[in-house]
Amino acid sequence: MSALLEVEGLRKRFGGGRALFGAARPEVRAVDGISFTLARGETLGLVGETGSGKSTLGRLVLRLIEPSEGRVRFEGQEVTGVSAAALRAMRPRMQMVFQDPYGSLDPRMTAGAIIAEPMTAHGMARAEAARRVAELLGRVGLSPAMAARYPHEFSGGQRQRIGIARAIALDPALVVLDEPVSALDVSVQAQILNLLAEIQARSGVAFLFIAHDLGVVRHVSDRVAVMYLGRIVEMAPRDALYGAPRHPYTVSLLSAVPRPDPAKERNRPRIRPIGEIGSAAALPSGCRFHPRCPRARIVAARGGETVEAAGARLPRPCVEQDPLLAPAGEAAHLAACHFPDEA
Amino acid sequence: MTAAFELRGLTAAVPGEKGAVRLVEEVSLHVRAGETLAVVGESGSGKTVTFTSALGLLPKPGRVIAGEALLEGEDLLKLSPEALRRRRGARIGMVFQDPLTGLNPVFRVGEQIAEVLRAHLPISRREARERAVALLARVQIPDPARRVDDYPHQFSGGMRQRVLIAMAIALGPRVLIADEPTTALDVTVQAQVLDLLGDLRDAEGMAMVLITHDLGVVARQADRVAVMYAGRVVETGTVAEVFAAPRHPYTISLFRSIPDVEAPAGTTLAPIAGSPPDPARRPVGCAFAPRCFAVSDAAGCRSARPLLIGAGHEAACHRQGAAELAA
Amino acid sequence: MSVTVEQIDAAAEAAARRRAAIRRYTRHPGFMIGAVGIVLLVLVALFAPWLAPHSPTRTDLMNSLAQPSATYPLGTDQFGRCVLSRLIHGAQVSLQVGFFVVLISLSAGTIIGAVAGYAGGWIERALVAVIDILLAFPSFLLALALVAARGNTLDSIILAVAIAYTPRVAAVMRSVVLTIRPRPFIEASRAIGLTPWKIVLRHVIPNALPPVIVVATVSAATAILAEAGLSFLGLGVQPPTPTWGNVISEGQTAITTNPLISLSAGLCIAFTVVVLNLLGDGLRDTLDPQMRRSTGKLL
Repeated sequence: MSALLEVEGLRKRFGGGRALFGAARPEVRAVDGISFTLARGETLGLVGETGSGKSTLGRLVLRLIEPSEGRVRFEGQEVTGVSAAALRAMRPRMQMVFQDPYGSLDPRMTAGAIIAEPMTAHGMARAEAARRVAELLGRVGLSPAMAARYPHEFSGGQRQRIGIARAIALDPALVVLDEPVSALDVSVQAQILNLLAEIQARSGVAFLFIAHDLGVVRHVSDRVAVMYLGRIVEMAPRDALYGAPRHPYTVSLLSAVPRPDPAKERNRPRIRPIGEIGSAAALPSGCRFHPRCPRARIVAARGGETVEAAGARLPRPCVEQDPLLAPAGEAAHLAACHFPDEA
Repeated sequence: MTAAFELRGLTAAVPGEKGAVRLVEEVSLHVRAGETLAVVGESGSGKTVTFTSALGLLPKPGRVIAGEALLEGEDLLKLSPEALRRRRGARIGMVFQDPLTGLNPVFRVGEQIAEVLRAHLPISRREARERAVALLARVQIPDPARRVDDYPHQFSGGMRQRVLIAMAIALGPRVLIADEPTTALDVTVQAQVLDLLGDLRDAEGMAMVLITHDLGVVARQADRVAVMYAGRVVETGTVAEVFAAPRHPYTISLFRSIPDVEAPAGTTLAPIAGSPPDPARRPVGCAFAPRCFAVSDAAGCRSARPLLIGAGHEAACHRQGAAELAA
Repeated sequence: MSVTVEQIDAAAEAAARRRAAIRRYTRHPGFMIGAVGIVLLVLVALFAPWLAPHSPTRTDLMNSLAQPSATYPLGTDQFGRCVLSRLIHGAQVSLQVGFFVVLISLSAGTIIGAVAGYAGGWIERALVAVIDILLAFPSFLLALALVAARGNTLDSIILAVAIAYTPRVAAVMRSVVLTIRPRPFIEASRAIGLTPWKIVLRHVIPNALPPVIVVATVSAATAILAEAGLSFLGLGVQPPTPTWGNVISEGQTAITTNPLISLSAGLCIAFTVVVLNLLGDGLRDTLDPQMRRSTGKLL
């Protein structure tokens, strides 16, 4: 069976060129060569820190932003390169839920009008749309009587339910969820996560779930991709990634998450401060993680050919060669590291 | 040993359409020198308002209508605004969530730290600058002598938060109140900032209040915890006690609704139904009753406000024991 | 079955909501004063022939420059015409000018500004250049030129003033749209597959309109002033048609002996400008749905 979504060599550069008075503007490579596929009904979790390019990637997939290079195919059809009208015709099948439950709903429209909009925009009769709105409100756990209310009369969690109802109104095959629960309180987060799981179980929709919270991503995903400075550095089935991470960045991320277990937290070794994510405007040479990489330092200390970089002696390949996403361990486990087998 | 900072029955309110709306009610807390108290709650639980009220920073028309806020025995709420201003910064430091808005973008980082010092101490510009460099070094900013002349936008989010921490500890406060200090930061940076806060507390013997919504951060950093819901403390105790055997149904539910990175595969989340009540429309009786799995009319959940009971580990629930059974 | 019950609930809620919206307006004193003032002016203009004691153009040369009396409550001008009657009829011209100028400049300015702000790129640059040129051009001069070219009929004056005000509305509209364009709900409407035109009409304009309506209300006041100014200079609607500007202009010759002529017309203009400004302020305060929140955002 062919994949629902195929992404190949996707890149997005912002800026670059020269400003009006001649100052060169740095080019930001927000998404820098990403390929992956997503099957029907699957959830791919996309994690990364601020500046990793994960939100840009989500928008490129839906072509809400024009990619600089690369292609996206959805249900066998080209998404990149087609006309605006052809793209609009595909929209019902690929939808998005946004991070900000306050900002992503038009404050001047009622909840009912917001949910009806995708349906009427794609040609459904008003009466039919109104009937569907009542049904959709029920499906996302709201009362149909709430259709007359305005967004500001709802709590954050309820607003996110409205955003979800809007996204599933046309029965899409893919929904890109951009940090859908990060603006919500913990107790409400769980409601929304369960709702999404229930929707997926019923409709077989595939999710591209973008988040920075590793716990949330683990909870919802079948597979997980970890992004760092515009690249996927590791991608694997959920349990493989959390159980046996191969990329040192994934290892650092996982070990940094504070867990609600005082006994474990007290005895945890202190995290080696690895600095902060660099800038996509000034990408490091070779492996883009090398300035922060604890593993590169360990490997270098053991011998082998090293070079001076980022204030330390590091293995030559780390500094000079950009590692490709390659099988590491199990077949479905991919990591972009020169030393994926180091513990 | 007396508490470095203590709240007794603090109640703060804003005028509403139908009388005063109580944002926080009868909050009593204390934190000792060298100790970290975590205050946990969701948005609207009053965890931030509690401390802004105590420090006289509650925006108008909000005001404190009852209670005491004791800083080493002295009631801050009885001080003149000027005296209170001198206590803030000097003896009680604060770090807020957003490291971007806390710094003025048009001034150099060093100038902003020096400004804090010179507002309280009779020192020269030069001396203030030297101390600013030393403070940047204390919060582990590399190359502080050079970075002191940078502007905030030249710092990353984590570094800005370190600068704000440097400003908060500049005058050697006895109490440091950190309100969601790592929420806006990425997880790897968050860990570093938390470690820094812990180190500073130990080195200076400060009492620390850590306001957060993240139970992982509590487990990692705090000695004791106070859980707030709808303007009240509903459970308090040592972190070990509360995490091992939470007593309030809200706390119990909160633990069950967190997607943990190490939870066994297939764990389902048990969310808490509904959302926290609007402060103007809190239910009679226990404010958590409408969302509670252990609610019982017979026990008085819908008619009487539960009081904090217990020794050391306290919870405000009519159904203690029964609640744990249900869990 | 349950859907019908809920539909009734929804209808009841919508009705309660409308009542609350009306209350919001009626409780705003500035808005109420402005609205009542405008309604009064409109009624006076509509029923001018019945309200005015005399024909506004009938001359009574025996009684020229008469002081106020029972027959002529505000006296007469140098041609012996009833000042009160001229003012009452003058309201028709002023209100027409105000109304049509707002109608034209609001619709044209809204569309131009919204397209410029939302489209971006060369479309925006071109429209902004036109707006800037028109804004930099003295509006009075523009009006003079148009009147000179088309003759001083009421239409030319309305057109002239409308052209002068359209770029102002467009400039405000564009700047508001620039703040709306990056908001997530605009991206959300692209994601559901709305066409750019639908996004502008359904999401951009309704959200940008409140400040623009306020500007438009206030520009109705300045449009009335502009008409009066043109008439005063003899470039507006030609005498003997009564307009407030004409009355001031004609009263000028007798300003020392009969100051009431010019003064009363001036007061009419001032009253209209004030009520329009009150209405504009009232609308600004009440149009924003975010303002409907009753409890403060303290938490």
